Amino acid sequence: MHSSLPLMVSLPFVGALLAAWSGTQGRLWSAWVSGGVALASLGLLFGPALAVMQGETLLWQATWVPQIGLDLGFRLDGLSLLFALMILGIGLLVVLYARYYLADQDPMGRFYAYLMLFMGAMLGLVTSENLIQMAIFWELTSITSFLLVSYWRHRSEARQGARMALAITGAGGLALLGGLLLLGQIVGSYQLSDVLAAADSIKASPLYLPALLLILLGVFTKSAQFPFHFWLPHAMAAPTPVSAYLHSATMVKAGVFLLARLFPALSDTAAWTWIVAPVGLATLVLGAYTALFKHDLKGLLAYSTISHLGLITLLFGIGTPLAAVAAVFHIMNHATFKASLFMAAGIIDHEAGTRDMRRLSGLWHYMPYTGLLAMVAAAAMAGVPLLNGFLSKEMFFEKTVFMAELTDSAWLLPVFATLAGAFAVAYSLRFIHDVFFGGAPTELPRIPHEPTRWMKVPVEILVVICVAVGILPGLTFGPLLYLAAGATLQGPLPEFSLSVWHGFTPALGMSVLALLGGVAIYAVRRPLFRLHEQSFGRFDARALFIALESALLGLAAWLDQRLHRPSLQRMLAVILLAAVAVVVAGLWPSLRDGTLSGPLPLTPPDPVSIAAMLCLVVGAVGTVVLHRERWTALVMLSVVGLIVALAFVKLSAPDLALTQLSVEMVTIVLLLLALYFLPKHTPRESSLPRRLRDLTLAGAVGLTAAALVWAVLTRPYQSIAGWFLDNSVPGGGGTNVVNVILVDFRGFDTLGEITVLAIAAVGIYMLLQGLRLDAPRADAQGRPWSWDTHPLILATFARLLLPLALLVAVFILLRGHNLPGGGFIAGLVVAVALVMQYLANGITWTRPRISGQLHPLIGIGLLLSTATGLGSWYFDRPFLTSAHGHFHLPLIGDLELATAMLFDLGVLMVVVGITLVILIRLGELDALEYPPARGRRRVMAARAQLRRGGGH
Amino acid sequence: MTEPLSSTLTSPLWSLGVEILVSLLIVIGAAFTCLGSVALLRLRDFYSRLHGPTKATTLGVGSLLIASSIFFSAQGPGLSLHEILVALFLFITAPVGAHLMAKAALHLRVRGQSGLPPDALLDGQGVAQPDPQAAPRPVPRPASRIDADPLRDAD
Repeated sequence: MHSSLPLMVSLPFVGALLAAWSGTQGRLWSAWVSGGVALASLGLLFGPALAVMQGETLLWQATWVPQIGLDLGFRLDGLSLLFALMILGIGLLVVLYARYYLADQDPMGRFYAYLMLFMGAMLGLVTSENLIQMAIFWELTSITSFLLVSYWRHRSEARQGARMALAITGAGGLALLGGLLLLGQIVGSYQLSDVLAAADSIKASPLYLPALLLILLGVFTKSAQFPFHFWLPHAMAAPTPVSAYLHSATMVKAGVFLLARLFPALSDTAAWTWIVAPVGLATLVLGAYTALFKHDLKGLLAYSTISHLGLITLLFGIGTPLAAVAAVFHIMNHATFKASLFMAAGIIDHEAGTRDMRRLSGLWHYMPYTGLLAMVAAAAMAGVPLLNGFLSKEMFFEKTVFMAELTDSAWLLPVFATLAGAFAVAYSLRFIHDVFFGGAPTELPRIPHEPTRWMKVPVEILVVICVAVGILPGLTFGPLLYLAAGATLQGPLPEFSLSVWHGFTPALGMSVLALLGGVAIYAVRRPLFRLHEQSFGRFDARALFIALESALLGLAAWLDQRLHRPSLQRMLAVILLAAVAVVVAGLWPSLRDGTLSGPLPLTPPDPVSIAAMLCLVVGAVGTVVLHRERWTALVMLSVVGLIVALAFVKLSAPDLALTQLSVEMVTIVLLLLALYFLPKHTPRESSLPRRLRDLTLAGAVGLTAAALVWAVLTRPYQSIAGWFLDNSVPGGGGTNVVNVILVDFRGFDTLGEITVLAIAAVGIYMLLQGLRLDAPRADAQGRPWSWDTHPLILATFARLLLPLALLVAVFILLRGHNLPGGGFIAGLVVAVALVMQYLANGITWTRPRISGQLHPLIGIGLLLSTATGLGSWYFDRPFLTSAHGHFHLPLIGDLELATAMLFDLGVLMVVVGITLVILIRLGELDALEYPPARGRRRVMAARAQLRRGGGH
Repeated sequence: MTEPLSSTLTSPLWSLGVEILVSLLIVIGAAFTCLGSVALLRLRDFYSRLHGPTKATTLGVGSLLIASSIFFSAQGPGLSLHEILVALFLFITAPVGAHLMAKAALHLRVRGQSGLPPDALLDGQGVAQPDPQAAPRPVPRPASRIDADPLRDAD
């Protein structure tokens, strides 16, 4: 019914893709697309907004993961409407502004894509009905703001600022998630409506305090409240449109939005007041004070924003309904004047080439129009009458006086409020006076001039709003304020009057005092600057953060060092010992009682099995004894593999035998390729005690495993094999139970396994990329390799074998569902057949004949398998349900076909792709394939390049 | 498949004949395989020993495959032809394997009963060698990824 809500939220995400794509078409396309998307979202908001104006609260819900209480839910009431309007309205202006702000060499598509992502995340956050969904969007805003702040990624301060912002807001987001989960636990529902309705039970709950603390951590980090405020000034390394959007109107307001959203549920307790109000007050004063001493225009604005956010937090902390109304009003006013000020600062930076107020002066002569706009906005920030900042600030003063009258100890409140107000006046004055007046500029990088017409339009619009609201508050922001404040309180609105003149009240006196005090502070700024530089100015929160960060990383490295020694042997020894300890502890009772053997009688041994076992023993021991003769050890190892395959045959597991055989073959080829690059002999590396230790360990592991197997095999047990045997044909349409399990009953496992395989292959591919090894030119005795690298007979017969081998692979694949075989084995057969071509004919001959790259095969295979699984959704069946039927095909005969076969085909492709990627990359490492001199030169050149690349 | 033939195939006399034939072939195959193993053990030098196992795979396993084919054809409804494919693979791979082993031995100058061919021949002189410069070489790939990385910091 209100499906325009989710549509409105998802539209910017689609817009991000479009903007990124259109950015490749032409520089300005992405700006047009983003503007269009923002407009369309605004259009979608129109209908619901009308309904909200009528007093409705719109809800749209869909189940998502109901088991964990996560549903998709959107809600539009007065508060969300206010924020959605700010996000989309100011967003639209920022889109227009950024189009003129960004330089030619800045990639537009990327900027607008990030901006749209952020817009969507922010919209989702303010319209979330579900708390977990809200936390998700909250995190999204952190991530997208990270991307936006680090947009100029070639600048180190942008990267550092973005990282700091992400670390702090991300940590806060984690705390917030915990808090919201606790809140949901208390209420028994994650729906915002339920939470808001359950205020009393929340405050009575013992979990209230932990939940409140965690949520407030999220709020304070996001809204840059003391002591987490220091990330915001460093985020000023972002392009100015980003600051105008994120750091005035939206992102930093997310914290206070949450305060407003949960105000009815959490406020009105001692804990709330005593945490929120002091933090807000400290931030208010600290921000206002520090702002005056910032020489960077944007730094001043950042601290001013911190201060104003502190003001809003303080108002929420005071906790009376009227204070909440004032807070909502100030949210609106601050967004308008601060966004316009950021844009004005951006224009100054853009046209004058610097933002340093020590270098700027007298710009009034060059850009009077911009100067006028900036002046009005700065006056609003200072709280000059007839502008919007004055109204909400006076409401704030009024509340502090009210609090002071209520309690004796709160007399500090109006004092600090006035002080902060005075500093606000002072820094606003500095913003205007230092930049636009004070003599002609002397050391500007370029001669400033007015910006293009359209760059000023967003500022104009915002400044006009400032003035209009300041003169006629009731007619402009009035209706929206009533709606938003009503939604914040979730109850009747208190009486308040939105007018410019309230008579001679204490608040008016405070305003006048602040204005006069501000002028006075500005007049004595020079000694103040010196004083500040010798006192507070020395304290650098960033250095503290960096020290903390490096201490944390140091701790992690230290822990890692303790737990994770970089010795493979030691790690292996620890793991094996642990395994032995666990098994021995488990078996200990039966070992003590002598009941290790179960009731089942032993099968009498037959001579063939004994012979095979002896071979196995000889092979295993031979591998260990001869491990320094690598080639011989490899032959011994292959004996082991072969005997295992025969054992599978004997135990009626033909599928496993086939798999084992083909894996064995591929492994041997792989090892041969690897051995080629290694010396023929391994030097003796371990001392005698060490070898004795290893022998003991290996013996212990072997005996433990044997005891375990003995205990299991001598006991009767009910396996699940019977179920699979019974259900293989009716459930999976195949008589080969092994294959049916792989592609049907446990198809999801197989999908996961081939995905892991594919990831491993990508890893190997990347590791081997660009690596060149110099293969030995001769063997250990110094004999050169045979001149005949690709013998004619081998080459010819290998080509002859290829079609036959492929035929066998198809046969194995097709019959796999009913008889031994399947995609995995068939894939290995194909891979072996293709590798054979490489080995017999050489890479130079083979590469042009096997078309294209082979690694896309991995992706295609994965996609095919997944698509087969998804296909069953189309028929309203669970993922990976297979359909099967009996078909009669001409020429081939009767066939039992199942969709699982498509899945198996995907498996085959993945296996072929992986094997070939690994083997061929390994084979290509050989520098011999290149003319020797050139190969060596290339290696030298690449190394020199690396050195140069690492140097700067 | 017509009725009379089917009854002929299941008649006791026929199955006895098949069994005798199959047994005979298995014994022949086993004998050749055994002989091949004995040859591997007993013959005097590498080049002679090479003959033993190759005979075993071709003649020995060949006979066994024929036996298998006859047996399963007599048992099942149709002709069993897998064995032909197996034999084909064997007949292709066994000689190639032997050939490669012989080449390796010659390269390593393993002496046989009758000595070695002259070095010039073993080193491939006088044989048309592939010219290393004539073969198409892989196109050099662009320089390593690291120096072309756009994500690298400029500062």
